[in-house]
Amino acid sequence: MKLPGERDLVALAGIAASGVALVSLLSATASARSSGSRLAPHRIRASRAATVKTARELNRAAGTLAASVLADSSVEHYRGSFKNKAMYTPLAVSALALATSLHGTADVRPLAHKARDATYLLAAATGLVGSGFHLYNVGKRVGGFSWQNLFYGAPIGAPMAILLSGLLGFCSERVREARRTRPRIFGLPAGRTIAAVAGAGLLGTTGEAGLLHFRGAYHNPFMLLPVTLPPIGAALLLSAAGGGSGRTHRFTRWWMRVLTAMGVAGVGFHAYGVSRNMGGWRNWSQNILNGPPIPAPPSFAGLALAGLAALDLMRAHPDA
Amino acid sequence: MMPQPAGAIAVSDDPLHAPRAHDGRAPDVFRPGGWTPMRQYRESEPVDFAIVGTGAGGGTLACKLAEYGFSVVALDAGPYFRPLEDFASDESEQTKLYWTDDRIVDGANPLHLGSNNSGKAVGGSTVHFAMVSLRFRPEWFRSRTLLGYGADWPLDWREMWDYYAEVEQALKISGPVTYPWGPPRPRYPYRAHPLNGAARALAKGCEALGIKWTETPLATLSAPRGLAHPCVYRGFCVSGCSTNAKQSALVTWIPRAIAAGAEIRDLAMVGRVEVEPSGLVSGVHYHRDGAWRFQRARNLVVAGYAIETPRLLLNSATSRFPDGLANSSGLVGKNLMAQSNQAVWGRLEHEVRSYKGPPSLAMTEHWNYEDKGKDFFGGYSYMSQGPLPQLWANTLFSARGLWGESLVEAMKDYNHVVGLKIVGEMLPQESNRVTLADEVDQYGLRIPCITYSWCDNDKRLIDHSLKFMSRALEAIDAHDIWIQDDDTCHLNGTARMGSDARTSVVDADCRSWDIPNLWICDGSVFPTVGGANPSLTIQAIACRTADRIRVLARRGELNAAVPRRTSRHQRSTEVHRS
Repeated sequence: MKLPGERDLVALAGIAASGVALVSLLSATASARSSGSRLAPHRIRASRAATVKTARELNRAAGTLAASVLADSSVEHYRGSFKNKAMYTPLAVSALALATSLHGTADVRPLAHKARDATYLLAAATGLVGSGFHLYNVGKRVGGFSWQNLFYGAPIGAPMAILLSGLLGFCSERVREARRTRPRIFGLPAGRTIAAVAGAGLLGTTGEAGLLHFRGAYHNPFMLLPVTLPPIGAALLLSAAGGGSGRTHRFTRWWMRVLTAMGVAGVGFHAYGVSRNMGGWRNWSQNILNGPPIPAPPSFAGLALAGLAALDLMRAHPDA
Repeated sequence: MMPQPAGAIAVSDDPLHAPRAHDGRAPDVFRPGGWTPMRQYRESEPVDFAIVGTGAGGGTLACKLAEYGFSVVALDAGPYFRPLEDFASDESEQTKLYWTDDRIVDGANPLHLGSNNSGKAVGGSTVHFAMVSLRFRPEWFRSRTLLGYGADWPLDWREMWDYYAEVEQALKISGPVTYPWGPPRPRYPYRAHPLNGAARALAKGCEALGIKWTETPLATLSAPRGLAHPCVYRGFCVSGCSTNAKQSALVTWIPRAIAAGAEIRDLAMVGRVEVEPSGLVSGVHYHRDGAWRFQRARNLVVAGYAIETPRLLLNSATSRFPDGLANSSGLVGKNLMAQSNQAVWGRLEHEVRSYKGPPSLAMTEHWNYEDKGKDFFGGYSYMSQGPLPQLWANTLFSARGLWGESLVEAMKDYNHVVGLKIVGEMLPQESNRVTLADEVDQYGLRIPCITYSWCDNDKRLIDHSLKFMSRALEAIDAHDIWIQDDDTCHLNGTARMGSDARTSVVDADCRSWDIPNLWICDGSVFPTVGGANPSLTIQAIACRTADRIRVLARRGELNAAVPRRTSRHQRSTEVHRS
């Protein structure tokens, strides 16, 4: 048997790390709520406990996105044979963002962390630069910005996921360091800003899913779910961001949980999609690359979790 | 002797020598070793329709007629292949898909018969076709009136546009989001495939010369469909697809036909059509399992393609029809039209690896739709090429005379080869024809003699295309450019449709003028060929013919029982497809 090469190991490590991290992040859902009060010092006021809790939820959301990016870019850039050395960048940066998010999720102190801040900013910058790279890749192909190249060139929307991970992480640190004042981001109310970012992220991710599911001709009716449910979630979040204070947003919360479940279920659907290629899972080494991207759907879960965190924050700080 | 485990494929299961469709079942092409139940009909009781041939014409019609409730027996001289098991990644082995029975070719430009113009299998030549699924330019249906050459079709392009859409849906054609030429058409059911290196080279050449190009609409899946997998870009398309991504008649129309109650008889060579004293067809004599048999039928459809169809009609001559059946016009066998298939080849500095994926992923119909700047009638499209290695070595040998060391040297450049090839319109000429030779084949049937010569217009079209494609290759910095000036593909004509019994063999419904229960439904009915691959048009005509037959049956203008079982069989079809 051929020994795995360096690239194989890098890609495998990326997939494994993101998988483990994703499971731990998502399974921490229940404990994250209660642990805040159990471990935090008693003197912290309830609202401060709430900001830390929200910050940790945002770390979790950023981590979910980073895990999705780590696995997805591992698979897709491995498929592209890491032809350009820069293709290793999203693996390294998303791994860092993921580690940072795990750290943030476990951290109950009401203080921003310089290393976390730096990592999240780096992740955001990577997303911007990556989008530039992907745009360049599509544009230089014969036919330019045609359907052919949007379908089969570098996916233009994909690097946005690591940008969103960085933005949410950055927001998390701002929420966390808000002490007596109400949490703000660039002078804007934090809860509403995060809700808007998550809403916009949902719309962008919908665009990406819509493009690629159109490429698959919506051959399975379930392929319509990620282009119909998330835009409703985005509208709900944007309406929460712009609406009056004091609302409970029960329906919006419920919808975010639906989107989280959809993001997780998407992994299963994509795994089924892989099985429908020649040779099925017995031919996994080829079909994981050919079939629908298994790590992509949790992006929706990450954004929905961020939306939930924003709603939590708005509940604790009505004017946030 | 080793005991065979249950369910294992018997050693004697050789599709080339023993029929597979019998005992109430036919091969399930989607499941290795699987079977699907198949209705069978008695030879002594007349079926509504006996169909000779199961390719683009016969396979499609068998499906549609069975779904409309008619009793159908479709006979094919070829084997019933199981693509998942029977197809090797080996060009030599896969020549088993071609019709290579004895034939005589002559004329100034004798045709090379075999690979790209014939098939001998259930599913016909769609089992190894290049899957290019183009609509005709609307004006071609009235080329005599509007463009000044050839002959008008008795069909209206707007009606054909609807039947094209039906076939594109039935085959889940993967095509571009918007098609650059002609009147609007519905969105292709599946999206186009990614371009390979050869297709990108074609696209760059077109952009350099300022003409439009597009992803080729192809009958191969770009997404899963039922039990068929999406294309894996294996590249052996014209040697038979072993993954079922190719939407041949074998994996589309025929499973539907069987589900709707049609019977397929493989390895069944029809040798003679029986005509009663009344002047109506009463059935067909066919050879199967080592013996001549007779199937009674109320109607007969001949769908054997442009050589076997006239051959059967001519071989069935009687004292009442001494020149062959349906031949009062004298046109059976005449107006044979190949399509020109010339190429320009070159070498690019970077690797092209043109053999990856379907061979013609990009194409241009510019010279089908542009009439200015032409010194010839008709049109041509040209497509990117992906010859497999053996074909490529053969091309280098036959077109350039390379052999020995020079051939080995040239083959070392295989990964760098880039080529453009036309599908060009050739004009109908009565002197291009199928006749009967005195020699007989393995069944004792007189073999066809095929006479073919290019006319001046054909030569001018070829000349124009070779100059243009040379410029396209020069524009992308290809070097060592050379021309392959002798190749043809596809065969049409020989039983043309028309609106006048004196100048055509069948009417617009593919019904012969002379014998009301004899129909011809394949590429032979084409009055002209256009510069586009014919398979989609053949299937569209078959769908239209089925609709017309249903209408005629309801009106009582048909020699068949009025169909009764429509709804039940449509239901069973849906179950099968899901």
